[in-house]
Amino acid sequence: MSTKFALIPILAALVAGPAAGQTAGHFYDVDKEVKIEGIVRQVSLEPRYKGTAPFLVLSVEDPRDAKRYSIEVSPSWFFNQDIHGGERVTVVGSLTGGPGEAPTVIAREVRWRGETITLRDKRGFPSWQGGPQRKRGIRRFGSF
Amino acid sequence: MMIRKMRFIVPVLLIAAVSAQGGTVTLSFNQHSTQNMFQTRDAVAEQISAFSLSIDQDFSALSVLANLEYSAFRQTAGLGFFAADAGFDYLLPTGAKSAFYFAAGGGGTFYRQEYGAFSSLGANLLGAFKTYLAPSSILKLQWQGMYAVYKDSLFDFLSQIATLSIDKYFKTRTTFKADAEWGYKYFLHPFLPEPIEPLTEAVTTMAASNGMGTGTGSGSGQGWGGQRYQGGNGFIPRTSSEGGGAGIGHISLSLLAAQGIGDIVGLSVSAVRQWTVTGENPFLSIEEFYLVQNPSTDSFSWEGRQLNGRITMNLPWSVELKAGYTYSDKTYPGVESMSLEGVPLGLGRNDLRHLFEARLEKNFRRGSLFLAYSWVDNRSSDPLFVWKSHFIMCGFQWNLPVGRKGGIS
Repeated sequence: MSTKFALIPILAALVAGPAAGQTAGHFYDVDKEVKIEGIVRQVSLEPRYKGTAPFLVLSVEDPRDAKRYSIEVSPSWFFNQDIHGGERVTVVGSLTGGPGEAPTVIAREVRWRGETITLRDKRGFPSWQGGPQRKRGIRRFGSF
Repeated sequence: MMIRKMRFIVPVLLIAAVSAQGGTVTLSFNQHSTQNMFQTRDAVAEQISAFSLSIDQDFSALSVLANLEYSAFRQTAGLGFFAADAGFDYLLPTGAKSAFYFAAGGGGTFYRQEYGAFSSLGANLLGAFKTYLAPSSILKLQWQGMYAVYKDSLFDFLSQIATLSIDKYFKTRTTFKADAEWGYKYFLHPFLPEPIEPLTEAVTTMAASNGMGTGTGSGSGQGWGGQRYQGGNGFIPRTSSEGGGAGIGHISLSLLAAQGIGDIVGLSVSAVRQWTVTGENPFLSIEEFYLVQNPSTDSFSWEGRQLNGRITMNLPWSVELKAGYTYSDKTYPGVESMSLEGVPLGLGRNDLRHLFEARLEKNFRRGSLFLAYSWVDNRSSDPLFVWKSHFIMCGFQWNLPVGRKGGIS
């Protein structure tokens, strides 16, 4: 089998992927992307969606107007990163939530302590990967 | 040759990509350059290309993962290896502030004939618990067990590590963290049979019978594996008339202090002290290769201390800079220092290492690009392991959009 032909179904499968399973109401809308800078007031693990693992949710307060945002981070982050109440964070994400609901941000990027954690690409597709099990492997110089 | 490889790799990629609908697929390529592949005084320069494909698929609280990796070595082609592993993990919340995490997995690493002794199959189990004692304080407990069998059964082992950590964040933007660890590794049969003839000849004979070629069994540069075992030359097994296994256990304590400065700078300093509390390394001499999971040395092998300082900076244009310095003073219980002629010097091996690292990473729409530089100055009581070297690594990671775009994944 020619390698060129072999690659075609792979690419087809990858391109077909995004069309599947997008939800109508609660999704990452790039047109509603916002940047929130604030203080973490609460950290919790909440069941947000049917059929998925619970999400790490941060309650972040904007110190300028004391407005609180509910930040949806990811299912696995609860074990991978240690974020505390009181820490300053900058979150880039998509603002959701209807009238009368607390503003919710689906996080794409979280910055704190000089580090940036990318959770989704710029179109909102998830890029997170599981928990501590993924940290195995060889320690490489320069890999931190 | 390449086409033959592609015929194998492409169907695997296809199956993986199709099965990853709704999950996350990550492709990465890293290019490494080192002046000292085998980390001895006899420096061997090497260029390494490493490819990997990872797939992560969530089914409710259960997540399934698979990873394929291939590394090609330009000079020491025999070190090229293919690795595959798969597993699952499960997150079990116990309230809004606590959760258990369980994981199980298995995998294999396969080397070419010259380094076939390093080929292995293994399995691991992991259990962890994390809870917020207060919004600003986290307690974590973790246990991990591993089992691996190697083509050369000298390296077969069972191991387990248990860790406890607690941290506290203060309004001054300072975090203090303390860790305690207990670990035990049991080599199932790490000894060669007692020689009838002088040791060096017996080692030669056994190494040859293990398919490792001929060697002198000393630290003289011929090594355990001999001529067909390119590079390294530092590993020497022990002999024993009784056979059986051997274990080495440790406890360690570590402290970390981290400080945020402004919104873009993070600083941290940490110190680790590790004590070997039971047993010793079963091998007379050990070695450590760059980018290769060397079976004779790992985090169980040493006792001593390690100090680390690190700075992390968020720069404009989604660029992140990390730099760090690590000083380590490690003694390897049971491992002897030898002269370059292979004569025991009558003292255990002790290494003092200075490591400088820097990494620059640029994030793009669907991936990231990085450049890393490291410099190591290793001083050892064993002259074979006195070396200095630079390491350069660059690469990219590409996240494929096969996941769902919604809030859920």
